[in-house]
This record gives sequence, structure tokens and C-alpha cells, in this order.
Amino acid sequence: MTWNFDILPDFVFNGLSLGAIYGTVALSLVLIFKATTLINFATGELAMIGAFMVYVLHMEQGLWLWLSILIAMIISAGLGALIERTLTRPFDPADHLPVVLITLGLFLIFNALAGDIWNYQVRLLSNPFGKFPSWVPGLGGDRFVMVLGSRLKYQSIGIWLTLALALFLLGLILNRTKMGLAFRAVSSNVESARLVGVHTGRTLGFGWAIASAFGTLGAVLVAPQLGGVNPNMMATILIYALAGAALGGLDSLGGAVIGGILIGLIQAVLVMWLGVVVFGQAYMSILQLAAAFVLILIVLLFRPSGLFGSRRVERV
Amino acid sequence: MMRTSARMRQLQGVGLVLITTWLFCLPFVSTTTELRQHTQIIISVLAVLGVNIATGYGGMISLGHGVFVGVGAFATGYFVDEMSLPWLLAISMGIVTASLSGALVGIPALRIKGIHLALLTLCMAIVFQPLSKRFPAFTGGVSGKAIEARFEAPIWLGDSRMASAVYRYVFCILVVLFALGLTWNLVNSRAGRAMRALRDNDTAAAIYGINLVRTRVITFSISAGLAGLAGALQVVLVPYVSQDNYSVQESLVVYATAVIGGLGSIWGSVLGVVARTGFGALGERLSGVDGFGLVSEFFELLDEQAFVFGVGLIALTFVFPRGLAGIGTKNKQQTGS
Repeated sequence: MTWNFDILPDFVFNGLSLGAIYGTVALSLVLIFKATTLINFATGELAMIGAFMVYVLHMEQGLWLWLSILIAMIISAGLGALIERTLTRPFDPADHLPVVLITLGLFLIFNALAGDIWNYQVRLLSNPFGKFPSWVPGLGGDRFVMVLGSRLKYQSIGIWLTLALALFLLGLILNRTKMGLAFRAVSSNVESARLVGVHTGRTLGFGWAIASAFGTLGAVLVAPQLGGVNPNMMATILIYALAGAALGGLDSLGGAVIGGILIGLIQAVLVMWLGVVVFGQAYMSILQLAAAFVLILIVLLFRPSGLFGSRRVERV
Repeated sequence: MMRTSARMRQLQGVGLVLITTWLFCLPFVSTTTELRQHTQIIISVLAVLGVNIATGYGGMISLGHGVFVGVGAFATGYFVDEMSLPWLLAISMGIVTASLSGALVGIPALRIKGIHLALLTLCMAIVFQPLSKRFPAFTGGVSGKAIEARFEAPIWLGDSRMASAVYRYVFCILVVLFALGLTWNLVNSRAGRAMRALRDNDTAAAIYGINLVRTRVITFSISAGLAGLAGALQVVLVPYVSQDNYSVQESLVVYATAVIGGLGSIWGSVLGVVARTGFGALGERLSGVDGFGLVSEFFELLDEQAFVFGVGLIALTFVFPRGLAGIGTKNKQQTGS
């Protein structure tokens, strides 16, 4: 196969929808990093547990898919807040080592737990955006619509709309509620926030809760692309999300979304150029992973604050 | 600085005597399989020690030391099998390869610090497994590959399987002891003080004339070399390499073992491995408990080593935030904060 611009929109659409998912998971990382300057290494595993909740509620109990997702997000949020309250609040946030260790412990626990309950086979989870619903005029029941001579899948449109809605709600919560104001205060300066009477612990718990809910949403959206849910599903997604978060700036919420989408686009173009034209299909997944890793390396080396993050001045 | 009280020194002495007696008696009371499993536990001290050098003494968090263990194992397998080098040379080459890859990681670690470095090394650990599947010449691809060469006991020891198992056991113990001694000397030497100065305040260290670049890169390559040695000895024990053994979880377990043992203490790395083995044994013991109805379902979970270890990790972080080696030590620098 040679370089063929006709297929470019195909890859771009795909990249944009994967990127939106990376952005969602990256948001989950950044929400916690912004408030605590800690990276929750268990983000991916928490999200995976959330996806399994949807699996149990929808595939096993037969609940409506969107209701299952909503319930799973609420439970994940509760779980996140619980983890913050019981496991991370007792430690001094300035000292990275203990909290890194706690999140690593959670990583191992959740992974083993899921492996024990559901074993390591890939389990099918139905796609929330498989076919256009019947009320969409002219497209009901179709899987895609032709745009620019390429197939724009309903899945991609659905993911974009979901992310847009989630971001809108997040914006409302952060900018219009008292809790959101407290969160912004804590993430800009913990000490000052505490001095003016913000309950910092509760606010951080709130941050963890939203972050976990976002992670679950990302995992549910990505599952159909991976063929279903399994305990190791988030390992590679976590890399792309970390790459997105690093690129956008680890403490910038908007940056996380834009970074994630950029990673998806880079990945798509890379797949098209390297995977299809230069190396061949077999090396595609590892090339994407390697590219994400190199990108993280470059960003951290030359611009640790990312594209939109705030720079930190180091004092002796 | 950590200062050890006299009482703790006595306890450490007792521990040392216990471990030595145990090591000495082991070959007489165990089967070849058990002996091999114990040897594997003993060599895992080296990887933990590697993390300890990088993180505890060098101040660089590494969540990816499983990668260097893997590099050491794959390289040793390659050199001893494809190049038909003698074992000792192949092991040395394995260490050198791991050190060089460590130096490569050490270079970005000059600029990337703290939680960012943790992030980078974690990504390295995630990428390593799929990457190694793609180089079957070295790694045997997805299914791994058997190494033809065997690390056998010399003729005069007899050719029974037990003789070879004991021979490997003694060889590995001697290597581990040698490495522990060497590291002990290193961290108490001028170079070791330079590492610690860098960890505590790199700008101040630079002002005192410590070469930042050289010290950081050397620290990381030594620490990777130790992990690589652990990988090389794995091949000595079991002539088989496979990417299966180098998942992200392995890397995380190595790091966590180093931290729960106690960073900045050689003795802590040994303690960490002892604790980890203890968790494993505890899980196995408890998973056999039956007849509690719902509770027994929970106990079945304990079969999962990673689960027990994760729980133990969190518990220990709460109880002994300075690691097991930190019990009974006073933190002289801490003047209330």
C-alpha cells in the first residue's frame, strides 16, 4: 500500500475519537495532580474496575447501558473519595514516596482482584455507540455517515458528544458551585485556601471522586475499541493518557483534553504513515507505544510544564 | 541521616545469624525445586538493591527496574547461547548491557526529577513487555525461548540434579553476598557520599564540586547493573527467558519491596525481600482456610500474590513509613515541621 491521501480523513476521525478517550483518562490524572501534585498510578486500574462494574450491571444484570454507566461512575466516584479519605489523607502531600507507594499498592490490588473475579479473558461489553439510534433522521440503524469520502462512525460522534457534555458539566461544577470554587482555590494554593477556611481534605476527596468518575467513563468508551473489558485493558491506554497529560501540561485541565486529542491524532497519522506505508501492520501497536514513550520523554526533558501547564521555579 | 540505636544493632546481629543458619541448613532439608525457589528469592535481593541505589541513595525514583532485570536476563541468554560464551563472561556481559541501558535512562534523569521520573520509568516498564515480544532473536518472542547451555556443577561434585542445584545455590549466594559487600563499600565511599549529597540538594552538591552529570549517570547504571545481575542469575537458575516475567507488575513489586524494606539502607533491601516472601507465604497459608462461607471467597483471593502484596504494601506504608529498616532509628534531621 502506498501513501494515499484519500484515506487520511478515515485516520483523522479515528485519531480524534481515540484522542477524546485519552483526553478523558488524562483529565482523571490531571484532576488529582493539579490539586495534590501527585500522580495516581492506580488511575487506569480504578477505571478498569469501573468498566467491569458496567459489565456486571449491563451484561450480567441486564440494566440499561447508560444507567449502568451512570451508576458505575457514581460508585467509582465514591470509591475515589473513600481512597482519598482513608489511604492518602493521612500522609504529608509534600512527601511523594508514601503516596506513590499507596497508589502502586492499589494498582496491584485492583489488578489482582479483577483477575481473580473475572479472569484475564477479554469479555465483550456492548458499544454505547454501535449504530445510530432510530430517532436520528436518515441515519437510524446505520453505523457510519459518509463525510469527505470517508466513513465517520457513529462511535466517533458519540464519543465526542459524550466528552463535550462531560467537559461542560465539569466546567459547571468547577466554575459555578462552591465545591468547585474550593477545588480551584486548593489547587492554586493549599496553604492560602486552608487559611481562608476551605476544608482542604474534603475538597481533595471531591477531586478524587470526579477524577475516578472520568476514568470510568474513559474506560467504558475505550472498551469497544479493545474488543471488550479485561483486567489489563488500561495498561497501554494509561501510557497514551500520561503522554496526553504530559503534553498538555500536568496541571492544566484544558491541556489534558487537548493533549489527549493530539496524542490520538499523532497516533493516527503515525499508524497511517509508519504502520501502513513503512513497516507493515504487525509493528503498529508497538510503534504507537514507543512513539508515546518517546513523546513523554521529549516533553519531560525539554518542556516539563507541557504546552499549557504552569512553570515552576525551583528555589534552593 | 538515619542513626541506628545499639538495641537495633543487636537485633540486626540476631537477624544476620538467623539468616546465615537458615541459608546453611537449606540445601540439606529441601528438594531441588524448593532450593531453586529459595535461590530465586535470594537473587531478587539484587534487583531490590538496584532500586535502593537509584532511589534510596541517588534520590531518583525508578518504577522500571524490572526492565533492567529483563535486559540482563535476555542479554545473558543471548551471549551464552547464540555467542556460546562461557557462563561467567556471559553474566558479566549481561551486567554490562543492563548498566549501559541504565546509563541511557540516567541521562534523562539529569533533568527529569521526582514524580516526573516516576512517570517516565513507569511508562518504560509498560512499554518493555510488548517491545520485547517484537525482538524474538533475543527474547524468543511471545512464548519465550529455552537456553541450551546449562550451568552445571563440575564433574568432581557428581552429576546428580541435587549437586547441580546446590552448586547453583552456593554460586548465587556468593554472588549476592559479593554484590552486597561491594554496594556497602560503594555507598560508604566518596562516591556514595556524592550520591547522597546529590539526593539531598543537588544545587548545593554542585557548588561543592560534585560532578552532577557523572554521578547521576553512574548511579543509575550501577543500579541497573545490579538489577541486570539479578536477571543474569535467573538464567543461571532456569535456562529459559520469556517476556512473561517482566510485566509492569514485576517492576512495581521490585520498587515497592525496596521502599517497604527501607530506602537508603543496604540491610533494608534484604528485609524487604524477607517481608515480601513472608506475605507470599501468609497468603498461601490463609488461602487454604475453608468453611467461612462468604469469607472463604475472600481467602481464595489470597492466592493472588499481587493482591496480598498490595495489601501488605499499603499496611506497611501506614505502620512503618520509613521502611522496615527504619524501625528503631531516629531521624536526626527531623526537627518538627
